[in-house]
Amino acid sequence: MTQNSLNTKDTMKMDCAQFQDRLPELFESGADLSTNQHLRTCTNCSALVRDLEYIAQQAKLLLPLHDPSPEVWTNIRSAIQNNGFQQEEDSSVNHR
Amino acid sequence: MSTPGIQPKPFNPHIRRNPPIEGELEAIANAQKGDPKAFEMLYALHKRRVYSLCLRMLGNIAEAEDLTQEAFLQLFRKISTFRGDSAFSTWLHRLAVNVVLMHLRKKGLPQISLEESLEPAQDDGPRKDIGTRDLTLAGSIDRVTLERAVENLPPGYRLVFVLHDVEGYEHNEIADMLACSIGNSKSQLHKARMKLRELLRTGERKEQII
Repeated sequence: MTQNSLNTKDTMKMDCAQFQDRLPELFESGADLSTNQHLRTCTNCSALVRDLEYIAQQAKLLLPLHDPSPEVWTNIRSAIQNNGFQQEEDSSVNHR
Repeated sequence: MSTPGIQPKPFNPHIRRNPPIEGELEAIANAQKGDPKAFEMLYALHKRRVYSLCLRMLGNIAEAEDLTQEAFLQLFRKISTFRGDSAFSTWLHRLAVNVVLMHLRKKGLPQISLEESLEPAQDDGPRKDIGTRDLTLAGSIDRVTLERAVENLPPGYRLVFVLHDVEGYEHNEIADMLACSIGNSKSQLHKARMKLRELLRTGERKEQII
């Protein structure tokens, strides 16, 4: 479905339930929701869209900040050295 | 740098936060030959993201470190099978996700089974928000508040939200990692955001009452 077909024409006469049913599709289509007719007239759905966009933006605050403790690498190295883990062989390489 | 064994893939605009890391291709090729220094470099490059994923999914430092260790041991065993069909970080994340899912299944999930939350039922759509006039969230969320709300998401929602909105993976990559459909990934993400909104608004109301 194209961005335009998802946007104003299809959602112009929607009620809130219909609009919210299609909201995941609208978000993923990359449609410009600021021009959406339903949102122009519905403060409730406008607030919902603002909140969901805000949550998606704020999620970037949660990018990784911490490393595991140094013991994790020490344990990995010991396990590899002591247990002699065998690497799985790539069959496509072996058949060359 | 061109490295025997792995051909660099053309730039994929869908991979937003997984650009090639300098020296990574060479390190992968050398690790595949059993070079411990190269494997250590791969660990140094990717430990933070793998650990963060484990920590977000488990909420417990000791368990997250155990699973990080397990994920990298599996990486060591399987690295020879990496063919460069996807970004290395995506491939490693898939491996780490599998380690986390196996662990969660062994533990038994506290709120909702992962299969259930990754395979939505017909009537499992997000609750509609119709006719309620309430405050909006804009400007009100800090990192700690959001982190706490994410911890309270059901595991399936949390995993898709973290992979997409936090880590920046596309739905096709997530579908591949979780062995689900792209539509399922999209649906889970929407439900996760709706649930987060509910959790964050509930938290705000409680703060106002106090």
